[in-house]
Amino acid sequence: MAELLLAAHELDKVYGSGDAATHALRGVSFEFAEGEFASIIGQSGSGKSTLLNLLGLLDTPSAGTVRYRGTDTGALRKADRARLRNELIGFVFQFHYLLPEFSVYENVAMPALIAGALSPAEIRSRAEETLGLLGLAGLEGKNANALSGGQKQRVAIARALMNRPALLLADEPTGNLDTTNTELVYDLFRKVSAETGTAFLIVTHDRKVAQRTDRVLEVLDGELVADERNRFLE
Amino acid sequence: MLSLRIAARFLRTSPVQSVLIMAGISVGIATQVFVGSLITSLQADLVDTTIGSSPQVTITAPEEGDPVVYNERVRSVVTADERVEPGAIAPVRTVSALFTDGDDSAPLSLTGGALADLDAIYELGERTTLGTARLDNGDVIVGTDFAEKHSLLPGDAIALVFADNQTVRARISAIVDLGAAAANERTAFVDANLPRTLAGWSVDEYSAIQTQMREPFDAADVAASWSSQLPELTISDWQAENADLLTALQSQSASSYMIQAFVLVAVALGIASTLAISAVQKTRQIGILKAMGLSDRRSGRIFLWQATLLGIGGTLGGLALGFGLIASFSFIPVPFSIRPEPAFIALSSAVGISVALLSSVIPTRKTSRLDPIEVIQSG
Repeated sequence: MAELLLAAHELDKVYGSGDAATHALRGVSFEFAEGEFASIIGQSGSGKSTLLNLLGLLDTPSAGTVRYRGTDTGALRKADRARLRNELIGFVFQFHYLLPEFSVYENVAMPALIAGALSPAEIRSRAEETLGLLGLAGLEGKNANALSGGQKQRVAIARALMNRPALLLADEPTGNLDTTNTELVYDLFRKVSAETGTAFLIVTHDRKVAQRTDRVLEVLDGELVADERNRFLE
Repeated sequence: MLSLRIAARFLRTSPVQSVLIMAGISVGIATQVFVGSLITSLQADLVDTTIGSSPQVTITAPEEGDPVVYNERVRSVVTADERVEPGAIAPVRTVSALFTDGDDSAPLSLTGGALADLDAIYELGERTTLGTARLDNGDVIVGTDFAEKHSLLPGDAIALVFADNQTVRARISAIVDLGAAAANERTAFVDANLPRTLAGWSVDEYSAIQTQMREPFDAADVAASWSSQLPELTISDWQAENADLLTALQSQSASSYMIQAFVLVAVALGIASTLAISAVQKTRQIGILKAMGLSDRRSGRIFLWQATLLGIGGTLGGLALGFGLIASFSFIPVPFSIRPEPAFIALSSAVGISVALLSSVIPTRKTSRLDPIEVIQSG
């Protein structure tokens, strides 16, 4: 049995107050082990992205707790949450969110530069290794804006993996990609998961995509309605 | 230093915006350097012209016409004061005379003293236009207008008639330009003994002890201090006698400060608005960096660094532009040159960078408060 990485307990998220209050999430609880490869599925507006933002420490729950390796993140100061995000979590969004002012190499190296734990030589070798893993070798010096959509998303994935996070959170990571690139990205996720032991939690509205993961968490109207091992893969 | 690196990159990738802000700072600092240096130099020239070649603190007897006894006590008060320009202490004897050449006559005010002492106050050597400044027994130094009016040259002998109709013949050793027409026409210098024998004074009796200060604006303080030490004598200073000039100088300084202050306010508003726009333009990038774990403090510092870089660049440009303006001023025919003071330049530079930093407060706070979720959710 793998070690417990993440524990969400009775997560509530309410936007607004009084009559105008909207419950985006209600009492969501689940546990997630190191190295798992799972997806969160739900219709648009079901609360799956809200859940991802809470798990990614980008947002704070109205009630409930998110624990990483036993640490209650709700008790942490903002700066400590930012550090935990940097060290433990990698993000891939529907939009690549690359920094247009920086080169491919600099974009990928950025999380390590923020962490400040590695030497410049270590950062360079880690970034090159990561770019190589994603088939982007040779593009280091290019400006992020000069790449194709598929390449940009792969650079974004490389950046998310730069600090060798324990968990990679992906929100509709292939939403803007064509079928070929979508296939490529999921194959990459699988490959990276196998090679680095990084856990993946992928938010998608596409059941076919979800079926390619080991575990599917289904969110409906802000509640976790299903959490099952993917029988399709068994 | 990641914040600095990001700041530098943001500036480099928006070159037009960066150059415009720096140009704004440069113009402000150049204006400050030029206007400030111009007014300071103009005032220094004005003060020098007005009182640079005349006594600044003068000791006289309370009754006009009575002599001051230049004894050891008076001497020690004057010489012990470090604010007095070294050597610029002239015990003088003044006497009125009538110049006459047979058909023409003109009144002259004779100032008698040792040449070295008079030179320290009136700069006789420097101001000599003809002849050689010399004050031996029987020598007289006259002003240019007097010499011209009566067609006199060095070596000519002139007759001076005194109050008791006693006539003394003196030989012109030099003709000097004292800087003012009235002085050039009426003032003449002789050796200290001529007025003494005419007045019948002893060797330590003088009409006045004239002095100059290292800093002309110390004159009032020096006069006050000497008055308390020498209560039996009258001490006068140029500041008390030129109150109008001082008021004019102060008004000029005030208007110069106003111009500089308003230029800096305009520059600050310009930088603040441009940086605020830049902060809005970079909201997305800041949000992404924060999502990756960049802390609020470090992301806020990005704009602080931007302001610092713009401030330094703009200030250096402003100094270059300011010195360029000062250099070009030397081609304009005015009777003085602008001398920038290092302390003022350092102050202007500090003001330039501080204004830039101050202008970054709003974008820095805005950036520091930005929640990454705002960027992620808006797509």
